[in-house]
Amino acid sequence: MSTKEIPNRIRIRSTQDVRHYLKTYPFKGLTDFFIEYESRNRLLPKDEVYKRMQSTIKIMKESIEKGKTKANITPSGLINGGCDTFMKNTPDTVSLLGDWFNAVISNTLAVSELNACMGRIVASPTAGACGVMPGAFLTICEKFEIPEERQIQSLFIAGGIGELIQINASLSGSQHGCQAEVGSASAITASAIVSLFEISLDKIENAAAMALANLLGLVCDPVAGLVEFPCVNRNIAGSVNAIASAQMALAGLTSPIPFDEVVCAMKQIGDDLPASLKETSRGGLATTPTGLRIQRKVRNVDSENM
Amino acid sequence: MAIFDIIGPVMIGPSSSHTAGANRIGYMAALCYGKPFHSVEIKLYNSFASTGFGHGTDQAIVAGLLGFKMDDERIPYAFEIAKERSLAYNFRKSYKRDHHPNEVRIVFHRGSAHSFLIRGVSIGAGKAKITQVQEDNVSFGGDHAVLLLNYKDITGMIGFIGGILGKHQVNVAYMQTSRNALKGTAMAMLKLDEECPNDAIVELKNHSDMHRVISIRKLNNEY
Repeated sequence: MSTKEIPNRIRIRSTQDVRHYLKTYPFKGLTDFFIEYESRNRLLPKDEVYKRMQSTIKIMKESIEKGKTKANITPSGLINGGCDTFMKNTPDTVSLLGDWFNAVISNTLAVSELNACMGRIVASPTAGACGVMPGAFLTICEKFEIPEERQIQSLFIAGGIGELIQINASLSGSQHGCQAEVGSASAITASAIVSLFEISLDKIENAAAMALANLLGLVCDPVAGLVEFPCVNRNIAGSVNAIASAQMALAGLTSPIPFDEVVCAMKQIGDDLPASLKETSRGGLATTPTGLRIQRKVRNVDSENM
Repeated sequence: MAIFDIIGPVMIGPSSSHTAGANRIGYMAALCYGKPFHSVEIKLYNSFASTGFGHGTDQAIVAGLLGFKMDDERIPYAFEIAKERSLAYNFRKSYKRDHHPNEVRIVFHRGSAHSFLIRGVSIGAGKAKITQVQEDNVSFGGDHAVLLLNYKDITGMIGFIGGILGKHQVNVAYMQTSRNALKGTAMAMLKLDEECPNDAIVELKNHSDMHRVISIRKLNNEY
């Protein structure tokens, strides 16, 4: 380990930069690097950075519970108690992959629906994709009874991976489509899950690369412009994809295209996507006959209310 | 942007731009205005106007004006609370291409003669910028403490302002000035590393050619 003094401002653009910092300066590992990164760039002491993540994870856990307390229903009717129905029906339904798989679905639904109903959530990285991290990562933490300290460490790593996406592309559906929201959420969640078991930058990077590559090209076409359908269900796709990608990376599979290049590909695809598929509701599911009918219904309610 | 913008912010859903960002505009606008008010006119532009209702943009802005932040669970009840606190509000919509997709114009009223205009835009990920205060074009989010000064365009004003801030140990990170005409009205927007102390604000206000002093605290490390 080097004894060179850590610079006041840490700048990263790629996983190579992260490796360079880890080699050159005396960081105590990947988590410590990202805590220092946040502390130095935000001018906040390290213990406050840590405490803030502690309170963030607490709210993330609460959002699962709150999303399950009652049937979540939105004025548009697009969210209509899905999580509640799912939990009521699963005991009497064939269980395809067991209770934990169903827990991933119900936890993801709970948080995504809570968000649609103006509940309190942690945008991770965005509100539209807020179900993925709690749904996949926190469910795995519960299954393996992971200590809170380890959970927090993993969230810092996920945040760092997300920061690289944010720096090189974007996390916004209106800029780069749903791949930037649910795709990024899935990638950072995959990296968080891997780091619960192995803090290896190679494996973390591979998990994120595979997860993001799987969702490249995903468009943002919300019906009636609402963060409801297909957003909530796409969070489930993000959760399941994150777990599969993490499992593959932990088993030693690698992405032929490195993470940094997958992020650049996402940006390029996002730039090439037509505006109609970037959160404008002028294409895709939003302009199907049923999508348009729902939009007319929602807008009529709108003009009565405002 | 940094890690707590990725794992965060903690916010009331459903949309970081249309709910959290809208709330931030209302919150910053009320800080900017800095006085009690009884009535506000709110104009929503473009995307805020077309999909605002489904995203609670309207409730989020009123909540911000009431001093509730983006993680406050009272946001969905903002209209009821505004009523309890006798805050009157009305919404209008405007679709104009020369305006930002997520823009809000807020006019504060206190009594019949007095009105005060603030404009803001939501720029994504729960972040927002104030772009206009009365006639002055500005640009600030919550990353720094901000000082907005409006004064007569005469020689020595910048030196006067700098002198007072220096005396009170306030470091200026950025500064921008403009004026509407030679010897007309000038404005300065200063971004500061720490909030301007009260004594300094009083001294600035005491200058006979100073028309208006607005001081806003840093919001960066709050939601």
